[in-house]
Amino acid sequence: MSTAATTTQRAPAKPFYFNTSAHLLRITEYKANRLADLLDALRDCPEESIFQHTFRTLEEHHFLRAGFSNDFAHWALAACNEPSLAEALAGVDVREFTSVAELRTRFIQILERYLHEHPPTGTRFADETFYFCASDIVVMPTSFQAHTLHEFTEGIRRVGLHSIHHHFIEARLRIKLMSNDFSQWLHEDAGLTETARSLNRIDIYTATLEDVREQIVRIVERALT
Amino acid sequence: MEPVKSQLAASSTLEAGFDPVVPSPPERRTTPRTWETPPAPVPSPHLDDYQGIVGTAAIDELRYLARDLKGKTLKMVNSTALGGGVAEMLNRLVPLLGELEVVTHWDVITGGNDFFEVTKAFHNALHGSAYELTRHAQEIFLTYNEQNRHRMQFNEDVVVIHDPQPAALIRARQDAPTRWVWRCHIDLSNPNPQVWGFLRPFIEQYDAAIVSSQSFAHQLPIPQYLFYPCIDPLSEKNKPLDDSFVQKVCDEFGIDRSRPIVTQVSRFDRLKDPVGVVQAFKLARKYLDCQLVMAGGGASDDPEGALVLREVKEAAAEDPDIIILELPPWCALQINALQRASTLVVQKSIKEGFGLTVTEALWKGKATIAGAVGGIPNQVIDKRTGMLVHSVEGCAYQIRYLLTHPEFAVQLGRNGREHVKENFLMTTNVRRWLLLMRIMLGWGTV
Repeated sequence: MSTAATTTQRAPAKPFYFNTSAHLLRITEYKANRLADLLDALRDCPEESIFQHTFRTLEEHHFLRAGFSNDFAHWALAACNEPSLAEALAGVDVREFTSVAELRTRFIQILERYLHEHPPTGTRFADETFYFCASDIVVMPTSFQAHTLHEFTEGIRRVGLHSIHHHFIEARLRIKLMSNDFSQWLHEDAGLTETARSLNRIDIYTATLEDVREQIVRIVERALT
Repeated sequence: MEPVKSQLAASSTLEAGFDPVVPSPPERRTTPRTWETPPAPVPSPHLDDYQGIVGTAAIDELRYLARDLKGKTLKMVNSTALGGGVAEMLNRLVPLLGELEVVTHWDVITGGNDFFEVTKAFHNALHGSAYELTRHAQEIFLTYNEQNRHRMQFNEDVVVIHDPQPAALIRARQDAPTRWVWRCHIDLSNPNPQVWGFLRPFIEQYDAAIVSSQSFAHQLPIPQYLFYPCIDPLSEKNKPLDDSFVQKVCDEFGIDRSRPIVTQVSRFDRLKDPVGVVQAFKLARKYLDCQLVMAGGGASDDPEGALVLREVKEAAAEDPDIIILELPPWCALQINALQRASTLVVQKSIKEGFGLTVTEALWKGKATIAGAVGGIPNQVIDKRTGMLVHSVEGCAYQIRYLLTHPEFAVQLGRNGREHVKENFLMTTNVRRWLLLMRIMLGWGTV
C-alpha cells in the first residue's frame, strides 16, 4: 500500500473547525489627494487600514478574475493615471507577507522609489481622494467541522466564501507562516504534505474566490483517490 | 441574463453611416395601464426567503451575529414613515431585525410645515446649495426637536437617529448606558458651512456616525462607519420576473425586444443629464441599430421636472426609437421589467448620491454605463463591473463598444451582479447593523 493511501485512510489527528468572519468598515482620519499624501498616510495609518486595502479588499472583490489586486494600485491607476506605479503596487502578493508591518514597508518602498524617480508625480492632484478605511472584525464559528478528509472537502464546498478567505488568505497573519489554515491542517493533522504544498500554489490573483474553492476541492480529492 | 448576442443579431449587418430600416413601432403608451391604481402593499419577506439568493452560510452568519443580541433593543428615529429611501429601507430592515430577536422600535418625529420647510432647506444646503441660516430657522428646528424629545422615550440599548431633521434629539442623552448613533443618508461632501456648523456640535455628541460614502465623512471626533445603501432583491423593483411579464410590459410601451435596448431609469432631473443620454444615443445610433428607453417620474408634481421632460422630448425630436415614459412612483414592477428587457443600462448622472438605479441594473446582470460621480464609482469599477464615463461622447462610445462586444458586456453584467451580492443587498445591510450593535455594546470584535 502506498504512503498516500495510508494517510488518507487514517483519521486526521484533530478535526478542522471552519470559522468565518464579518467586517464593518470604518473611515479613518487619513486620506490622500496626491501620491505624496499617500506615502505619508501609508507611514502613519493604523495597521487595520493596510489590512483593509489589501487583504480585505480582495475579499470584497472576490468575484473578479483579473485586474484587481489592492486599493492602492487601483487608485494609482484610476485616480492618478500612473500605470507603471499601479503595476508595481498591484504586483505585491499579500500571501508573501506574514505581518501587516512587512506589507506596509513593501508599499512604502515601492512608492518612495517611484516618487524618487518621478518627482513631479508626488504633488500632482488626483482625480479622487483616497480615504483610508479600516475594519472592525468579528470571527465566528460555522456549523461545519471536518473529522475526515471527506468531511473536509464537503465543508470547503459548503461554507461561505468569507470562510474560504478567512482560512486561506487572511490566515497567514494569524499563524505567521507562509501558509494557510487548510494547508497547515492537511500537513500537520492529516499527513498530506504534498497536498498542503499544492494548495499554497493556487494563484488567488487570477482566479475568483469561487474558483479557488473549486481548486482546493480538486486538489484534496486528487489526494483521496 | 438575457441573450445579448441574439438581441444584437439584427444589428450585425449594420455599418457606419447606414440608415437602418426600422419596422413601424407598435402602438405605444407612455404610462402603464395600471397607473391609476397603486398596488396593494406586499408583505415583508422573511430571512429564509433570502437563502436562495445569498446562500445558507450568509443567513447563518446573521443568526450567529444576532445570537448575543437577543433581547437587546434598538430604536430607529426618522422623519417620515412613508415615501423616500430611508422609510423604504426601514420598512424592510425592522422586520428582519425583529425576526432575529433584536427588538427594534421605529419612531417618526412630528413637526409643522414650518419645521419641514426648514429641514428641507437644511437638506439642500447640506448638499451644497447656497443658504442663509437665520436665527428664526434655528429656533424652529430646535423647538420641534425639543417637542419630540419630550414626547419620546429613549430607553433602548442603541438609538439611531436618521438624517439631520431629528439630530438635536441627542439632547435626550442622559447618564444611561444607551449608545447614540447618527445615520446620515445625504451627501455631505460639500455642505453649506453655516448649516453644518450649526449641526456639528450635536453630531459630535453621538457615539458614532454612519455615512454612505467615504467622501461624505468629515473630520469628526467620533468613529464613522461606512454603510452603503442597499437594495432588496425580493422587492417589486428587483425580484425575478417571468419573461412573459417583461414581454407584456415591452409590448405595452411599444419596445421591440428583437433589437438592442438602451435604458436610463431616473427622475427627469438635470442632474441625471437625460438630454445628454439622448445625445449620446443619437451619436451611437449612427453606427448601430438600437432603441433608447427613458423611464422616469417627477414631472407631474415638479415644475422643474416638467421643464426637463420637455427638453428631453425636444432633444428626442419625435424619433420613433426614443421611448420616453413618465411613470408614477408605484410602477416598480414595470421599472423592473424595463431594466430586465434592456441590453444596456445607462446612468449618466452629473451629480449623484449613491445611485441605487445603478445597483438595480447591476443586480439584474446588465452591462452598465454610468457617470463617474458620487457613489457610482463604489459600484461601477471601470471595465470590471461596468463602464464609467465623463462626457456625452464617452457615453456614446461605450454604448457602441458594448453593443458590439456582447461577451464583454455579459462579463461586466456577471461581475456587477456579484459585486451587488457581496456589498449592496439588504442582507449585507442587516449584517452591518448587527455588527454595529455589537461594537456599540462593546463586544465581539478583534
